[in-house]
Amino acid sequence: MTEEERLKFEEQDKADGLTRGDFLKALGASFAALAASGCGLRPPKEKIIPLIDQPEGAVPGVSRWYASTCGGCEASCGVIVKSRDGRPIKMEGNPDHPLTRGGLCARGQATVLDLYDNQRLKQPMEGSAPASWKAVDDAVVKGLDSAARKGKAIRIVSRSLPSPSLNAALAKFLKKYPTAKHVVYDPISSSAILEAHRSTHGRAVVPHYRVERARAIVSFDADFLGSWISPVEFTKSWAANRKPGEIMSWHAQFEPRMSVTGANADLRVPLRPSEELAAAVALGKLIAGKVSWTGPLPDAPPSTVDKALLLETAERLLGSRKRSLVISGSSDVAVQVVVNWINEMLGNYGETIDIAHPSMQKQGPAGALDGLIAELERGEVGALIVLEANPAQDQPRGKEFAAAMGKAALTVALAQRRDETAALARIVCATPHALESWGDAEPVSGVVSLFQPLLSPLFDTRPALESLLAWAGQPGSAYDFVKEHWRTDVFPRQKEVHAFTAFWDEALRRGAVSIAAAAAPAAAFQTGELARLKSARRSTGDGFEFVPYPSVALGDGRQANNPWLQELPDPVSKVSWGNVASFAQADAQRLGISEGSMVKLSAGGKSLELPAYVQPGQAAGVVAVALGYGRAEAGPVAANFPTVKLLPIDREDGGGADAYPLAGSAWVAVAAAGGSVVLAKTQIFDSQTVPFTDQKRELLKETTLPEYLKDSRETDAAKEAADENGLWPRHQYPGHKWGMAINLTSCTGCSSCVIACQAENNIPVVGKAEVRKGREMHWIRIDRYVDESKAAVGADVAFQPMLCQHCDNAPCETVCPVLATLHSNEGLNMQVYNRCVGTRYCANNCPYKVRRFNWFDYAHQDELQNMALNPDVTVRTRGVMEKCTFCTQRIYSAKFGADAEKRALKDGELVPACAQSCPADAIVFGDLNDPESRVAKLAKENHSYRVLAEIGVGPSVFYQPKVRNRRA
Amino acid sequence: MSTAHWSALRIPWIDGNKTNSDVSEDVCAPLERAPTKAWYYALAASSTALLIGAVAVTDQIWTGIGTWGLNKTVGWSWDITNFVFWVGIGHAGTLISAILFLFRQRWRTSINRSAEAMTIFAVMCAGLFPIIHMGRPWLAYWVLPYPNPMGPLWVNFRSPLLWDVFAISTYFTVSSVFWYMGLLPDLALVARRANGWRKELFSRLSLGWDGSHRTWMHYEILYLLLAGLATPLVFSVHTIVSFDFSTSVVPGWHSTIFPPYFVCGAIFSGFAMVLSLMIIARKVMALENYITVRHIDAMCKITLLTSMIVSLAYSTEWFMAWYSFNPYERFAALNRFLGPYNHFYFMMLFSNMVVPQALWSQRVRTTPWAVFIISIFVNIGMWLERFVIITISLHRDYLPSSWTMYHPTRIEIATLIGSFGLFFTLFLLFCRFLPMIAASEVKGVLSYGRNPKHAGGDHDAA
Repeated sequence: MTEEERLKFEEQDKADGLTRGDFLKALGASFAALAASGCGLRPPKEKIIPLIDQPEGAVPGVSRWYASTCGGCEASCGVIVKSRDGRPIKMEGNPDHPLTRGGLCARGQATVLDLYDNQRLKQPMEGSAPASWKAVDDAVVKGLDSAARKGKAIRIVSRSLPSPSLNAALAKFLKKYPTAKHVVYDPISSSAILEAHRSTHGRAVVPHYRVERARAIVSFDADFLGSWISPVEFTKSWAANRKPGEIMSWHAQFEPRMSVTGANADLRVPLRPSEELAAAVALGKLIAGKVSWTGPLPDAPPSTVDKALLLETAERLLGSRKRSLVISGSSDVAVQVVVNWINEMLGNYGETIDIAHPSMQKQGPAGALDGLIAELERGEVGALIVLEANPAQDQPRGKEFAAAMGKAALTVALAQRRDETAALARIVCATPHALESWGDAEPVSGVVSLFQPLLSPLFDTRPALESLLAWAGQPGSAYDFVKEHWRTDVFPRQKEVHAFTAFWDEALRRGAVSIAAAAAPAAAFQTGELARLKSARRSTGDGFEFVPYPSVALGDGRQANNPWLQELPDPVSKVSWGNVASFAQADAQRLGISEGSMVKLSAGGKSLELPAYVQPGQAAGVVAVALGYGRAEAGPVAANFPTVKLLPIDREDGGGADAYPLAGSAWVAVAAAGGSVVLAKTQIFDSQTVPFTDQKRELLKETTLPEYLKDSRETDAAKEAADENGLWPRHQYPGHKWGMAINLTSCTGCSSCVIACQAENNIPVVGKAEVRKGREMHWIRIDRYVDESKAAVGADVAFQPMLCQHCDNAPCETVCPVLATLHSNEGLNMQVYNRCVGTRYCANNCPYKVRRFNWFDYAHQDELQNMALNPDVTVRTRGVMEKCTFCTQRIYSAKFGADAEKRALKDGELVPACAQSCPADAIVFGDLNDPESRVAKLAKENHSYRVLAEIGVGPSVFYQPKVRNRRA
Repeated sequence: MSTAHWSALRIPWIDGNKTNSDVSEDVCAPLERAPTKAWYYALAASSTALLIGAVAVTDQIWTGIGTWGLNKTVGWSWDITNFVFWVGIGHAGTLISAILFLFRQRWRTSINRSAEAMTIFAVMCAGLFPIIHMGRPWLAYWVLPYPNPMGPLWVNFRSPLLWDVFAISTYFTVSSVFWYMGLLPDLALVARRANGWRKELFSRLSLGWDGSHRTWMHYEILYLLLAGLATPLVFSVHTIVSFDFSTSVVPGWHSTIFPPYFVCGAIFSGFAMVLSLMIIARKVMALENYITVRHIDAMCKITLLTSMIVSLAYSTEWFMAWYSFNPYERFAALNRFLGPYNHFYFMMLFSNMVVPQALWSQRVRTTPWAVFIISIFVNIGMWLERFVIITISLHRDYLPSSWTMYHPTRIEIATLIGSFGLFFTLFLLFCRFLPMIAASEVKGVLSYGRNPKHAGGDHDAA
């Protein structure tokens, strides 16, 4: 720099009021902060293309949206990812995705927090020491070559891989090493469906269930709205047919535990797993009688289910031939064969069940790992590569797998985190998060989607695909390989677009494309197996039938280190931070246990201890435990939260016990283990019928379809009148008046809105001890009420999303001494954080109890995790009140957007996070002043009601009652 | 001013044939001698309690309200319970000084000074809680409508909490002025008897009291005016405190009966506290001749009356819960009887409704130890009443999904202990450094019920 230049700079600095020294200091500090978190944010090297309807040009501070695919599980839902200044900060459902059509589950939304998890592997490792990729590659190739030379087996273990490109890379690898074989298993397996279709249709596939076409659905323990195969897609499809007055499907659920799917069923029958076969056969025989079935009839003991219920089920199914669907989540092939038979009799194949375009989401055959474990134990495996899977934990023989791993000369784990398997592997290849790498997915044959990286990998990671290519001797980048694979394999499968570049760009923009899948020839139903049915389940045993299940919050447990998901209460039990052993009421009484009593479950020399939970509506003789909790190597969050103890916030073990070791046992012995704990429940009172007065509070209105259709033409007149009797003058809403409608018939309780809200609004996680004190911070919660009086059998469970009702005559607003909570002229009840002194009077006076107080300065200690914060929303300090804002930041950004384009806001343009995420489209938001808006129409609907409108607070959230398709 | 109208109908209020100079001697004695051992022990105990509270409050402000047992549903519990309890205690003093003065109840003279002091200290304790219960107490001044550069941001005149700010601060100011006014002649008395710096200090404190007729005349008129001014405050303060609850929508709070119910409850608890303190003080400080069983008897009658009014309020709540047909109200009432905190409710009913019935018996009313036990019951019962109203109403309100339980933490218990520490520390210092009996007023009732012919003595017959 010349002297002249220097003087010029100094002069400029003086004019700017900031010296260059200061500026550089600030700059240095911010870089140091980034460096301290071990990363810098860079865009990916390749060209990525934002979603189609976006203004051109990136503006700092303005969010951009990219379509991609969710890497949360194999369901591979379509997502759009919000990226702000190079940071992905929010996952949302992609409305353009052919399967999921908008909406995303809680786990999918929480993957954005996994991206910023400091516990992820930061570089490749050899043993426990960091290594270079070159060293790792050399060691792996040497090991593979040595195994190949010695004629020893090379095994690649993975979960189902719905990715065409990854499979192609794998094929190259397998081609190079003739002794190599790919072993696929699924932690939550659908192998019985594969097997059953092999025997009845000659093809071992999981068909694509077209729930949207089904008018009658019967599920034998398939939790298709909660966790089964592809819950977002199924919820979307199921909810589309749950519109009383227009179209209302009938849904029966035969299940041992109370799942969210069962809670939403019209008929729910508690049934032990071992009784499922008899019930399915009895149902099949009733239908066979009506459809003149001439083939063989299966044989089974008489069913324990009430004949009348089975008759109704058969009748409903027969009334919707070709438009019905029978599914089962059973691991018993015999049950699945009977289910296929019923579907065949009802003509559902080719209609509601697409076997020609099967699902790729569950490909693991039964006992996939048994052979591998045996091979390992015999010392036949020279090299074992675990491809983004965790077989040492997430399957019943995890411990045996872990022990046998050591027998292989080379063990390689490609993993994002040091999980139970990676901890044992000699070489660990760190793989990037789904938001950091290129990839693709074909969850259902013919629907192909792309993963776009939104940022360069935060750590020194390499996609599994690149590792496989490198070891196959054809190194290349994932981007090139995926693109090339699409050019050669995907592009030719469609006819509409003629130029590959256009096809590719469009696929990137939209996130997914539907292509004409190579339809397999229709297979005829083979009846052979029916006559030879043999149940894999013993119908009697010592103790209890064991039902392990993936929970709505944690699924198979791969996201166990995610604090959002750990704190997400189970929709049915409302327990967070840990799993429980749930029992039917009668069993609990018999065992002399109550909620929180520690029980010991044991089978085959393995055992686990868990607190008990008493679940109304559960089948007697069954104990159900959620999988995915209690992992040994999940990370510090799963073990304890807050992970760093800065404040005297109580910490408590995340808790729960790993149920995988027992997952292979159909029966377990149960014994009281002594002692008890208090569960971290977010709702401790379960019924709308209050004690002492035995009066039912009609907060969550439930009705039956005939009652609903009677349409009493009742209006809210009385309630409106109550609104008029205010002490203060009523507010005027000259422009917009924001309101919300929530359809309780559609709402399944899946809790995706809870996580969406948490991600959008920077809601802190408080930890198990604080949840137990009743201090969880969720702005929207799912109230769950149990009614044991109305259900035909067991109990009815219904869900009600509860959030700030933005009352017109808000009780919170009048009581704040410092005017920290105010009413906007658009009907929003606003909270001014920096004015709040924290008297909590507003929370006391809120009849809905939706206000949340910052009891402490909640943990924002993890700088990396803080990158997931939404910069549009203030992070609250301690001592202030907060609550749902109707996503005011989204309202403002939509209004500014419309203003910039000099046009009025369009209905539906403005979607709060909860409504966006809802796979069931149960939440509608809009302008109540616009008579043409969807929300205004819903609000005026006769059946709409507002919770507690009778006390005159004038809530702005309109609920449509829960309608069950029942006769009485 | 000693007029000594002898009347057989008048009962004597002061025993022991005290003369004017005896009174001066007795009242000033504690100020002029070295403190007793008992006083030191009491001060040690109370200041320890105060220290415990100070540590707890420091910890709570340093760390956050999370150190308390509150949660998403129960946003107030012990904090506001303590607040209302102490405000209630602070009611007896002004009632005794102002209302009984206007009603010419001369027996008040023996107890009014210490009852007023008690009032001021109780209001100080009370005022502590609304400040420390805030999430950000360092911003407590935001509840004052002062001109500020933040917009300016103003306060919400619709909020009962703001009304509290005005009500409590007004009450505190007027009570303090009234108390200090009443102290003037006695401060002058102390000054006259003292030497050195004490003489200097007390003469200054007595604002140049010269004991002239003119001074006395001004004093009496001012005292009457202040009594008139303070009288409505006795009713307004707790009425406004009750608005915190009655203007809300919470079942169990939303009730128009609250203002009179709270005022009577406050007088009830205030008198109980005066009884508790005076029964000990008259013994320890050898003031049995001034605070006689007849004083205790009179206070017991007021306690009994207010107990009956409070009982009527409880019964009215039950009746309204049934009669209103409001399901939430009905549940709130039954939840007190049958819910998880019902032992507190039964304890409250026993203490406030049942125990004071013993005061129908004159023998009980004139047996100090019995009255003392009853007064302790009433104190506990009235604290529980506020806990019942606040916590039991909040923990189960409209949406059963949000029902929770509340358990106090060690910090909250320590804070309550600390508030008692503050109260007793201030009271003990008051006993030691200021005349705790209004000597000038007591001199006015010396002759009551006393036949000068038999009694002799030094006072002149009119």
